[in-house]
Amino acid sequence: MGIRILAIAFFFQSVNLESRPISYPGGSTIMGFSNHLKESIYYHYSPSYKYSVGVENLKNKYYKTNLSYLRLTYLLKRTNTKNSQLNIYFQSGIRFDKFHDSFFGLRGDWETRRWYVDFNYKELETNNLTNTDQYYQAGFAPYLGEYGDLHTWVMLKTRRNSLTKKWSAYPVIKFFKGDLLFESGYSRDNEWDIHLMYRF
Amino acid sequence: MSGIYILCIGFKGFFVRKLFIIGLSVIAPVMALYAEVDEEHDNFNHVHEESIDGDEFDVDTIRFNEFINGLSDMKVAIVSVNGMVCDFCARGIEKTFKRNSEVLKVDVDLGKGKVLIAFSKGTRIDFEYISRKILENGQMATKLAVLELQ
Repeated sequence: MGIRILAIAFFFQSVNLESRPISYPGGSTIMGFSNHLKESIYYHYSPSYKYSVGVENLKNKYYKTNLSYLRLTYLLKRTNTKNSQLNIYFQSGIRFDKFHDSFFGLRGDWETRRWYVDFNYKELETNNLTNTDQYYQAGFAPYLGEYGDLHTWVMLKTRRNSLTKKWSAYPVIKFFKGDLLFESGYSRDNEWDIHLMYRF
Repeated sequence: MSGIYILCIGFKGFFVRKLFIIGLSVIAPVMALYAEVDEEHDNFNHVHEESIDGDEFDVDTIRFNEFINGLSDMKVAIVSVNGMVCDFCARGIEKTFKRNSEVLKVDVDLGKGKVLIAFSKGTRIDFEYISRKILENGQMATKLAVLELQ
């Protein structure tokens, strides 16, 4: 069992993911993310569909530090219609070893089977310095897969981190099948932007 | 909501920001609770328990026949669900119902927005139970039809 957990952790060590910040009730999620500013691994547990609690361990490539956050995500609002779903989340995190290092932000998404848009805004306090990270993306599914099929999304993402002080826009492709999701984009500024997620 | 977002961007002072985090941490669960009440209210307004009869209930017949293939002596609940727009959203619904020992099989039709659930024959199926389970996953059941198959 321990070896399996280590293997999964190793598999996700190079990546972090912010999609789907809350799972179904009783569900666990392990996510990985990697770009030019950070690499992180994030595990969360959702007691209900309204919130999740988790732990994120990340390597900040800009400050060259390793941090661990206790994270909390609330679903502020969800609107379900026959063909769409809208979500607004509040997200926050606090460092285990330095309580004044923290972050908070908002995240929202709207999707149909064909279209998808989302945004993410996060303000981080690290070593008494504040920086913001924000992105906006929109995309579509080139085909409509059935339940259990491989699903594909093609998106355009624009991102800005106040550390680099510039916007970048780049294409992103997302695949998911069953409980596994993979998302990747590339730009000259951000280099590879990779997300992985597994739910169990 | 957009007001909160603008405030988020605008706050620059350290203490104000901390206050904002604490404030939102308190407000967020209250808003989440409000959202739940809102959804339950929506549910209440959309409850229609109907019996399926031919094309009256929009079901993919090929998919339905594949679903019941090999099953007998059971009941099938056909549930219309709002907000079930992606495979990931539906995973929780499948997992929730599969925890019930009376559930024999679950299938999701994303195109029609339907969940098919096969229960053992003696099971009592009502909209309240189905709706609660769907709502636990953050979606909304709007219609239920139950078929009894020999």
